[in-house]
Parts: sequence; C-alpha cells; structure tokens
Amino acid sequence: MSDQTSALLIIFLFVIGVTILGMVPGMRDHTKGGMQLEDWAVGGRNFGRWLNWFVLAGEIYTAFTFLGASGWAYARGGPTFYILGYGALAYLVGYYILPSMSPIGRKYNLMTQPDLIEHLYGSKTLGILTAIIGIAFLLPYLQLQLTGLGLIIETCSYGQITRVPAMLIAFMMVAAFVYFSGLKGVATTAVVKDVIMIIAILFFGIYLPTHYFGSVGGMFEALDTAKPGFLSLPGGTKNLDVSWVMSTLVVTSLGFYMWPHFATNSFSAKNPDVLRHNAVYLPLYQICLLFPMLVGFTALLILAEPLKTPDMAFMVIVQQLFPAWVLGLVGGAGALACMVPAGDLLLSTSMLFTRNVYGRTFGKELTPYGQARMARFVVLGLTAIALSLAIFLPNMLVNLLLTGYSGVTQFFPMIVLGLFWGKATRLGAYAGLIVGEILVFGLILGKMDPLAIGGMNLNAGFVALFFNFIIYVAISLLSSSDKHLVSDKAQDL
Amino acid sequence: MMLVKIILTAIPFIWTIGMVPFINQVKPFVLGIPFFAFWMIAGIFVCFLCINGLYYIDNKKNRAR
Repeated sequence: MSDQTSALLIIFLFVIGVTILGMVPGMRDHTKGGMQLEDWAVGGRNFGRWLNWFVLAGEIYTAFTFLGASGWAYARGGPTFYILGYGALAYLVGYYILPSMSPIGRKYNLMTQPDLIEHLYGSKTLGILTAIIGIAFLLPYLQLQLTGLGLIIETCSYGQITRVPAMLIAFMMVAAFVYFSGLKGVATTAVVKDVIMIIAILFFGIYLPTHYFGSVGGMFEALDTAKPGFLSLPGGTKNLDVSWVMSTLVVTSLGFYMWPHFATNSFSAKNPDVLRHNAVYLPLYQICLLFPMLVGFTALLILAEPLKTPDMAFMVIVQQLFPAWVLGLVGGAGALACMVPAGDLLLSTSMLFTRNVYGRTFGKELTPYGQARMARFVVLGLTAIALSLAIFLPNMLVNLLLTGYSGVTQFFPMIVLGLFWGKATRLGAYAGLIVGEILVFGLILGKMDPLAIGGMNLNAGFVALFFNFIIYVAISLLSSSDKHLVSDKAQDL
Repeated sequence: MMLVKIILTAIPFIWTIGMVPFINQVKPFVLGIPFFAFWMIAGIFVCFLCINGLYYIDNKKNRAR
C-alpha cells in the first residue's frame, strides 16, 4: 500500500467512525417515536456535567487550535501567547452569564440567542436583527472549518486528492449526523475528538522539541538565540504590541460566549450548577493550547524552506518527519477538529434561520413540529451554501471572517446589561448594537485593525465595544421612562 | 462576601490583562518557558483558583438558603 493510500485510509476510517458514532444517539430517539425540536437543538435540556463539558470545551479544540496556534507561533512569535490568556478569563465571564441565562431559557422555552434577546427586550425585530447578524458571522466560521478540512486532506494525500471532492464527502457526513442526532450527536463526537486531539498535540508538542533540542527549554533557548525578541511582543510582527494584546484579550474574553452557538449550548444544561461547576474546571483545559505552539516554534527552527501557508506548519512538519500512517492519524484528528465544531455551527445557524428569521417573518404558522422538520432540512441547505462558497468564492467571505470575533463581541452590552441592569432599554440596545457593528465593519474593512491611536495599536473590536457600551448606557438612561424590559431579571429566578 | 467576590473576579483580569505591560520579556525562562508565556499560563491557574473560590462561596450560599 502506498503512502497516500494508507494516510487517506486512516483519515476516512476516522471520519466514517465518527459519523456513525454521532448518528447513534439520534437513532435511539427515533425508535422511541420521533424527535422534538427541543431534543434535537438543546438535547432535551438534560445534559449533565460530562456532556455539557464536551459541548462547551469542544469548541476550544477546533481546526484553529490545531493549525492556527501552530501557524501563529511559526509566523508571529510572542503575540501568539495571548491565546493562552483569553480562555480562562472567558470562563470567568461565563461563570456569571451562563447560569443566569439557562433558567430563563428553561422557563420561557428559549433555544437560541435571538430568542433570549427577543425575550429580554420584548422585541421581535431586535431578535430578527440579532439572528441575521449572527448568521452573517457564523457562515464564514463554518466555511473556515471546511477549508481547513480541505487543506488537511490535500496534505495527507500528498496532493493526490484535491480539496473539492474531499470537502464534499466530509461535509455530507457532518450534515448526516447533525440531521439525525442534533446536539447529542455533536456532544458524543466531541468526546472522541477531544481525546484524540489532546493525545496528538501533547505527543508532538513534547516529542518534537525534545528530539531536536533536548528539551522544551532547549528549543526556546535556541529560538531566542536565533531570533532575539521573537518570543516577546511584538515578536515577528510590527504592530501586535502590548496595547494590541491587552485590547484583544478584552475583546476575546468578553466576546467568547457571545458566539450564538454557545447560547444554544448553555440551554442544554440540566441545571445552572452544571454550568457553574464546569466553569471552575474549563480553564485548566486551556493549558494544552501551549503544545501546538511548541510545534510551530520547532517548525520555524528546523524546516529548511519557509512555508507559504504558516497554518500548515503542523501538518508539514509531520509529513516531512514521520511515516505516512502517523500523518494519517494526525490528519484524522485534524479532520475531526473541523467536523465536530462544524456540526455545532450548522445546528446553531439552522436554528437561527428557522426559528428567528423564517419563523418570525413568513413562517408564523409553523408548528413546533414543523419547525423541527424544517430546521433539519435547513442543515442540508446550509451545508450546500457553505460548500459552494468554499468552492467557488473562497475569498469572498474572508472579510466577514475577519470581523467575526469583533462582530459577535458587540452583542455583549446588549445581553449582559439586558440580564443584569434594571435600566436597560430596547432603544439603547438598538443604538449600541448598530453603532458597534458599523464601527467593526468600517474599521476592519478599511484596514484599520489594529487601530493606531495615541501610540497604541488597539483591536478594532475593542474600539467598537467601547463606543457601543457608552451609547448603550447613555441611550438607555435617556429613554428609561420608556419601559421596554420584560420583568424577569436574572436575579429573580 | 460581595467584596470577596469582586476581588476574586478582578484578580484574573488584572493578572492576565493589566500586567501585560510589565511582563513583556523573554528572560528569565521559567521551567524552560519564556517569561511572557509563563505568566499567561500562571494566569490560567490563578483564574482556576479564583473561580473555585467563587464557586465555593456561591455553593455555601445556596445550601444555606
């Protein structure tokens, strides 16, 4: 058996195995007589500690972790270390937000982030707007997973299989398990994916530096000698300096739980204590993010030719130094890291569209059963859209993707103050959200990210969040006679 | 107790974000890791301990209720 076939065979065994595993929970529910929307989208709201852990944690170890963190380390050096910082802070933020959201969700049968907004502000239009913005940022994120998957398969087949057929096959499979099992399928496969990912990054993160430089410390010493200053800020970049890291940490730690799919995931928790308890331990999970960086740094020292795509550092170093079957295992782990988050994203995007856009405009007559059936068909439609975008317009959505994190962070004042602040109003939410999103688009598409101001380089999302927040508070105070908030504050429950 | 909770919430943010201007250096290596990276990793443990503290306080409150 040649190299290509053995590496590819291993990857496809992974992919098929996980698809079957993901479909099992759904099959079981089918035999019990049909799945309700609540079962499919929020797992019947009965996820205990373990399933909830893997749904929430599963989003950390994505293709970005694998390829992106090593690629950043390879190309940028010091600024990469911000990745170690934001997750733990995000969980601290989540410790306050998620347990407040989930009882409201249970009481009022909410399933998505726009559901929550609609409930908090008593406004259907604001809910629809939130849903549309959410979809606009989720679609490119979905496409990113696809493209990552294509790259992995291309490398592992040593160029034999091109990206397009690989993406076609793999995404049909993701759609299949999301269609049949919903969130439970995502959670089950996330368990397998995380275990394999962690084994892979620990092994290569420790083995590669130790093999070439005696120890991890030896590798860092060698890198510091070869490139003085590369391991501090701004490292290999011009403007990713101290102020950029600080403002980016603010944006990413506050924005983390603003991704629409996390609202859906937190509504799946059996009770708020599940969410609190997991917030305690999730930070420790972040430590593993160091290991792909070690691979990236080692790649910078030992790869003879500079890489055109730094994100491929991990795959290329494995391809050059190890036999094909090892590359197959790594590719398999990477493929799962694309497929499982993609499943979660597909599910959430489909819910946003079916419930919050279609269900609130043309489809008001839709019964919950009809919604459930439609949401599952929308999964297939979205897969087709993401695939055609990835194939025909690979660059068109790059701009949207760049704005993604900064974009969803603009939901923060609206959701958090809406939950906890008695004087928040609908008008304030509209004004803050619109100003925030316009600033994000303007700054990022105008190539002003990071924004150089007063000797600092600030993350554009941070600048937008700052104005968003001020406007939200100011307009809320001005319009506070105009009561728009539904009575239930988080603390009443 | 409220004050303790505020302090426990503030410490991780000060550690990981507020201290960045003062810890932006490669040397000394701690446990073989550049100082900036080490500080960020230590921040994960600090955050873990603080959330643990918050969870402990909140749990005691819930049981007393």
